[in-house]
Amino acid sequence: MKKFLMLLLALLTVMVIAACTANEDAGEDPTDSEEPDTTEEGTNDDDEDATDDGTEEKVLRLNNGIEPSSLDPSIGFDAVSWDPLNNLMEGLTRLDQDSRAAEGVAESWDISDDGLTYTFHLREDVNWSNGDPVVAEDFVFAWKYMLDPETASPAAFLGYFIEGAEAFNSGEGSADDVNITAVDEKTLEVVLEAPTGFFLDLLTNPAFFPINHQVAQDNPNWHTEAESFVGNGPFKLESWEHDVEMVFTKNEHYWDADTVKLDKVHFAMVNDSNTQYQMFESGELDTASIPPELSDELIDGDNVFIGDYGGLEFYRFNITEEPFHNKNIRKAFAYAVNRADIAEYVVKNGVEPAYGFVSPGFTSPTGSDFRDENGDLVTFNPELAQQYLEDGMAEEGYNELPEIVLTYNTSDSNKAVAEALQSMFNEHLGVEVTLENQEWNVFAEAQQNLELQFSRSSFINDYSDPVNFLESFVTDSYMNRTGFSSAEYDELIEKGKSETDEEQRWEYLYEAERMLAEEMIAMPIRYYNTVVLEADGVSGILRHPVGYFDLKFADKN
Amino acid sequence: MLRYMLKRLLIMVITLWIIVTLTFVLMVSIPGSPFNSDQTSNEIVQANLERHYNLDKPYHIQYLLYLKSIATLEFGPSIKQPNQTVNDLLGRGFPISFELGIVTIIVAVVSGIILGILAALRHNGIIDYMAMGIAVLGISIPNFILATLLIQQLAVNLEWFPVATWSSPKHMVLPVLALATGPMAIIARLTRSTMLEVLTQDYIKMARAKGLTPWKVIMKHALRNALMPVVTIMGTLLAGILTGTFVIEQIFAIPGMGKYFVESINHRDYPVIMGTTVFYSAFLIIMLFLVDIAYGILDPRIKVNNKEGE
Repeated sequence: MKKFLMLLLALLTVMVIAACTANEDAGEDPTDSEEPDTTEEGTNDDDEDATDDGTEEKVLRLNNGIEPSSLDPSIGFDAVSWDPLNNLMEGLTRLDQDSRAAEGVAESWDISDDGLTYTFHLREDVNWSNGDPVVAEDFVFAWKYMLDPETASPAAFLGYFIEGAEAFNSGEGSADDVNITAVDEKTLEVVLEAPTGFFLDLLTNPAFFPINHQVAQDNPNWHTEAESFVGNGPFKLESWEHDVEMVFTKNEHYWDADTVKLDKVHFAMVNDSNTQYQMFESGELDTASIPPELSDELIDGDNVFIGDYGGLEFYRFNITEEPFHNKNIRKAFAYAVNRADIAEYVVKNGVEPAYGFVSPGFTSPTGSDFRDENGDLVTFNPELAQQYLEDGMAEEGYNELPEIVLTYNTSDSNKAVAEALQSMFNEHLGVEVTLENQEWNVFAEAQQNLELQFSRSSFINDYSDPVNFLESFVTDSYMNRTGFSSAEYDELIEKGKSETDEEQRWEYLYEAERMLAEEMIAMPIRYYNTVVLEADGVSGILRHPVGYFDLKFADKN
Repeated sequence: MLRYMLKRLLIMVITLWIIVTLTFVLMVSIPGSPFNSDQTSNEIVQANLERHYNLDKPYHIQYLLYLKSIATLEFGPSIKQPNQTVNDLLGRGFPISFELGIVTIIVAVVSGIILGILAALRHNGIIDYMAMGIAVLGISIPNFILATLLIQQLAVNLEWFPVATWSSPKHMVLPVLALATGPMAIIARLTRSTMLEVLTQDYIKMARAKGLTPWKVIMKHALRNALMPVVTIMGTLLAGILTGTFVIEQIFAIPGMGKYFVESINHRDYPVIMGTTVFYSAFLIIMLFLVDIAYGILDPRIKVNNKEGE
């Protein structure tokens, strides 16, 4: 009897399991038929594809992490939008293989002697992916659209170098007063507010990309789907399954199409560092980032690309509050930090310790690197730190430092750095620092309102010029967040932006950075870098220190 | 019955309104703004953004705007992905989460009940220990650990299944396994304990005495009663799993709606927070309602109408 029951149950189990597998298939049929041609090939049969096909299509598989915020070049103001956009579109200038602004849509330009008027001559043979010619009016349309307060573009401030732009964006001026003119179909004239030595660099940012004004006027949502997307870059948007994948194909209308070697690029959207690494391991992706846990193991591999990335991790002092209103106490903290140890043992991933504010990778007019030229501005020196602390405490009449709270936004790596700092301050200064972490948004707001005493920060360059970071600390800048205000510094930055003699302009910037270190309103920790795993055969991906990668010269064998 | 339904409907709407109001209050009281990011910005840009999304308006106007968006079911554009409306996001994500969820539920319920019955019938025997062993593991191993383990073993080492993404039945196996184990274990334990209780009841002895086959005794008399607690947890379970799970969807890069629950709050993406909250609450309320109906069907002693008098 009991045996019979068992047998029956065993049978039932088998039946149910069978039914359940059948069910699983049944449930998936719809997806299967909906997307027959997309990621199916992403699995193991990938390699076979390449060899079986006589055509040898070159397909690169990348991971964009998440869905781009927007492929409207005026709106998408983050790396996940810039990386695709930089390959789908092109501005007047484009960063070349040395990461310098070179000819893009513009084949040449004239700059007036006062450095204010730029006249761009567009190539005769530049076309949109729908076949329309790219005309000067497309730039006028795009830039005025970006600056329109109604558009609410997060990138609009980049355009303030243009005459009338700030007034228009703040709602005080009008679009007609923005000094951009389409002289004729292929000539664009831009008048700047003040001479801006890095204006051509600035133009490589997607915020300055053209928009096909005829398409955009017909359909304001042209950028939301692959079917309606019109670009002018090396690739065109073949398909875009939101939150899943974008597929780019070579754009035969691109003026330099002969240079482009890849036929197709897949941008997956996998937002888990382990998963994307596993996909790289199993051949489903050609490039991947290194998961933090595997850093030690993988960082020295042959297939690892390590490059500069314009950005700095640093800590801000709130100089409106005790005890950091005192310069010597700020310096004491800055000199007590062993940055080499933090870079090597805490952050890892091949990052460089920061002994200055401006990250390496900015080439001066004389050909040297900004960082080399200005040297180390803060070092690890416990004795000096101790000395500064004593001086500072004497100046303020402290017997004991007021309580110090170091705040960071919640994340594992920020926590590790904060803890390392805590122990260094304790060891080298004998100061107990309390750690506090806050959720990003809470933290950002508190830092903005100067409610934090000593807090973590990061900076990522928007354009390729040292002034981009340095101007954060001018009086009342939205990015200041330290309470620092110095007329002398403001003036240095003003000159560092508008001086027409490039060498002299850089001299002002060197001086400004030295002043930042002298005042020590923030202490640098380490520079960012780009670390990417690349599969065998992948070559030629340009990863510029500022911004976005470029697949124009990329190849895969 | 009709009156009862109408009354329930009214209560549902009121519940939803309370949830929406509470969410709004919580939402505006947490510090931060959707426009805080690592990127450079300035006051003018911030002001333009706030105006664009009506965040410069007083709270009571914002509240009314939200109520209006809910009433019309047009939640407006997401702040994080300005070219997508909340309706787009949910409309795209929900079917995928639902598909994953429904398969998971079927797997979990069927295997959970079988494990539970097996364990109860062989109480304190080897099968019981094995089944409960599986159940304990299922409850105690978090699904993200299981997911990573499955990827490492079955996808990377054995290459049986793809690592991630969502496009074919093959892609479905690992996430379903990872997601189903927990609920399966809970259901197995519930089924086992009630089954044990039911099996000692007089009416089971009676049924056996009547000479019914063991199959009939279990399926018709015992199981039906033993399922009541399972039905009770089904409402929440269904709502939870069908609307997507953040971790599993993230690990397997499944484009479901699970991520919006968590990320919208991190990003202070107010329209998405509202959209997901309303959607989830409405879904949960409906599921609980269906569960109440299911009680009546499973146990004729529970009459929906009776509840009305209470």
